[in-house]
Formats: sequence, structure tokens, C-alpha cells
Amino acid sequence: MATERPKPATEDVKMDLFEDDDEFEEFEIDQEWEAKEEGKEATQQWEDDWDDDDVNDDFSLQLKRELESNTEKK
Amino acid sequence: MCLKQDASRVIRQADRYSQYADILLPLFRALQSYRLKNLVESYQAFEKSANAFTQEFRNWESAWALEALYVIAYETRILAERADSELASNGKTPEKLKGAGSFLMKVFGVLAGKGSKRVGALYVTCQLFKIYFKLGTVHLCKSVTRSIETARIFDFEEFPLRDKVTYMYYTGRLEVYNENFSAADHKLSYALSHCNPRKERNIRMILKYLIPVKLSIGILPKTLLLEKYNLTEYNNIVLALRRGDLRLLQRALHEHEDQFLRSGVYLVLEKLELQVYQRLLKKIYIIQKQKDQNKAHQIKLDLIVRALKWLEIDMDVDEVECIMSILIYKNLVKGYFAHKSKVVVLSKQDPFPRLTGKAVNS
Repeated sequence: MATERPKPATEDVKMDLFEDDDEFEEFEIDQEWEAKEEGKEATQQWEDDWDDDDVNDDFSLQLKRELESNTEKK
Repeated sequence: MCLKQDASRVIRQADRYSQYADILLPLFRALQSYRLKNLVESYQAFEKSANAFTQEFRNWESAWALEALYVIAYETRILAERADSELASNGKTPEKLKGAGSFLMKVFGVLAGKGSKRVGALYVTCQLFKIYFKLGTVHLCKSVTRSIETARIFDFEEFPLRDKVTYMYYTGRLEVYNENFSAADHKLSYALSHCNPRKERNIRMILKYLIPVKLSIGILPKTLLLEKYNLTEYNNIVLALRRGDLRLLQRALHEHEDQFLRSGVYLVLEKLELQVYQRLLKKIYIIQKQKDQNKAHQIKLDLIVRALKWLEIDMDVDEVECIMSILIYKNLVKGYFAHKSKVVVLSKQDPFPRLTGKAVNS
């Protein structure tokens, strides 16, 4: 085996192509769980009405300053 | 070796069980080769045994041996992967996993028909997905999914939960690559809500694909979710959307470019740019409105150029005009364009329509 070491670099690249970083872990064949038990957390951590009219965050305040300073220059 | 000879003698003596010789002898050979760390030979023998078992399984009327078949399908895949890395490290072409794919396709054929064996078809499908995703031959998934999804004789819900979750995860990823965001949302959300809560790594993998999908239909994950599953690469992208901060979006994409390219979501995230423009324009509009209620719906292109310059994005009036036309065309902004006076005139009613769960028109 030791004699067959010489070209590791190219092999690494090659094996890299045969990779799926996100291979789903196996569930054991007899593993069971309640379908409803989960989710409560991960499925409820979303916001669809985040698009508010609030412009009091730092970014908006800086934007405001920027826009106003420029209009005054005119 | 002794074991093999004994087994062979015993089995051949019992003539009416002779078909089991085809299953057991190569199986012992596979075990022996495995013990000697000769993985390619081990795989070849195992596939022979698995093939003989599948032939028998085909003839049995009931699905009593389904669990054994599951183990065989799983071991075939894992052994083939190991055999391939042995081949690769000897400078040979890895081909066993591809072979395992063809073999499992046969197994799928045995299960996919009518009757009690069909319940096992989804497990084998999931093993095939893992092979195709690893080999980068995901187009092959199609023939299997078609058979699963078009069958009227078997309701998808009757498959075991663990297989449904895995199936939805992989088909969801396929929908992400095809940019079918509403189908991807449906499938990945199904996987998320049905996944075993103790399999945190799997939940994380589902979210890794579901988050870009949700973002492109205008739904944001809460910070808590990103932190709990260590998906912090999305933090700044979410913040960029909230702020309308184009510079931050570009930085975040750049910073995690490799990661996003590897998982294939880079192009999806890149398209969020239009939403960020929309948000920035909306902020400019609200700031104007605070100063002068009446003129707020007219936004000078100059002003947008300045805002972009502040964000270190160098664009002239013509380029901004082009972006604004795209926003209007894609229905992210309602309004029209006064070309001569270089002004965007926003509609007085709902000038920035929300996506409400639908992707930006393409």
C-alpha cells in the first residue's frame, strides 16, 4: 500500500466531485416518531410581514442623513 | 474459509433449499473479503448475493422479507462507496456506486408494482437519490419520481414516515435547482414539519435549502432559527433584505460564495437583489413622505444614485433607470417612469406590492 501513495493531490479533487455535502442521515429502519410532535419550533420561526414602514433603525437614519445633506447642497 | 466450505456442504445437501446457496455463498465471500479489507471484491460478492436474494424476493407472494431487503439496499450503497474510494486510491476509476445504482434500480422495479411490496419502494428510492446526488447524476431521479408520483394505485401518504421525509428533502432540493420555488417550499416544509425532532443535523440540512426558498418568496427566518441550527451564513443576507442594504447583500454573497455555490443556492440568493432594491426604494419613499406628504410619490433618480453611491455602488442615472424599469416590470414597484424629468412616479395605492408567498415574476 505504501508504494501506491504518490499522487494524492489529483485524487482529492476527483473524489471531491463525488461528494454531496448534504447527504441526509439515515433514519433507523424501525425508528418511529410522532409526526405532529415536531415542527412547533422550526416551522414557526418565520416572518412574512417584516416589510414594515419603520425607518428608525440605524441604517435608515444614516440613509436619511445622506439624502438630506445632499439635497441641501443643491 | 472453513466456514464457507461447511456452509456450502450443508446447503448443497439440502437439495430443496439449493437456491439459498446463491444467496449465502457470495455473502460469506463478501464478509471474508471485507474482513481482509478487500472492499472491491467484497462489493462484487455482496452484489451477487443481493441479486440472488432479490430474485427470491420477487417470487415470494408477500412482503415478509421487506426489512431484509432494506438492509441489503442500504449495505449495497455503503459498500459500493467504500469500494469506490479503494479504487480511487489505487488510481482506478470508481464505478461501483454507479453499479449499485443500476442494481437498486432493479430492486425498485421489483417493488414498484401493485401489491403489498410497494410500500418498500420509497425506501429504495431514497437510497437511489443518495447515490445520484453523490455522483452528480440527479437527472436520473426523474424516472423514479415519475413512478412514485403518478401512481394512482398507491397513496403517497401510505409510505413510512421516515421515507416520506427523506423523499421530500431530496425532491425539494431538485425543485430548488429547477427554481420551482412554490413546489420547493411545499416539499421542504413537509420534510421540516415531519422530520424526527431528534435528528437535528437533518433539520439543519432541510433548512439550508428551505431558507433561500423562503427568502425568494418574501418570507424571512427569525434570528433564533438561524442561531439554533448554526446557519449564520444567512444572517447578513436576511439583514440586507430588512434594510435594503445592497452593499451588505453583495458582501454576504461574496463572503460565503464557496459554500453557497457548493450547495447550489448561490443563484437563488443572487436574485434577492431585486427585493433589496425594492426595500431601499421603499425606505427612500418613506423618508420623503415624512418630509413632504404630497410629493413623496415622485422619486428623483438622482436621489437613488446618491443612495447607491453612499452604499459604494457606482451607478449612473441610466443604469438606475434600467433597474427601476425592471422593478416595475416584475411588479415589485407600481408606478411609471417620467423619462424626461428623470423621475419615478409611484402609484398612490400600494406602490410596493408584497410577494405574499409567491416568487418574483421571471
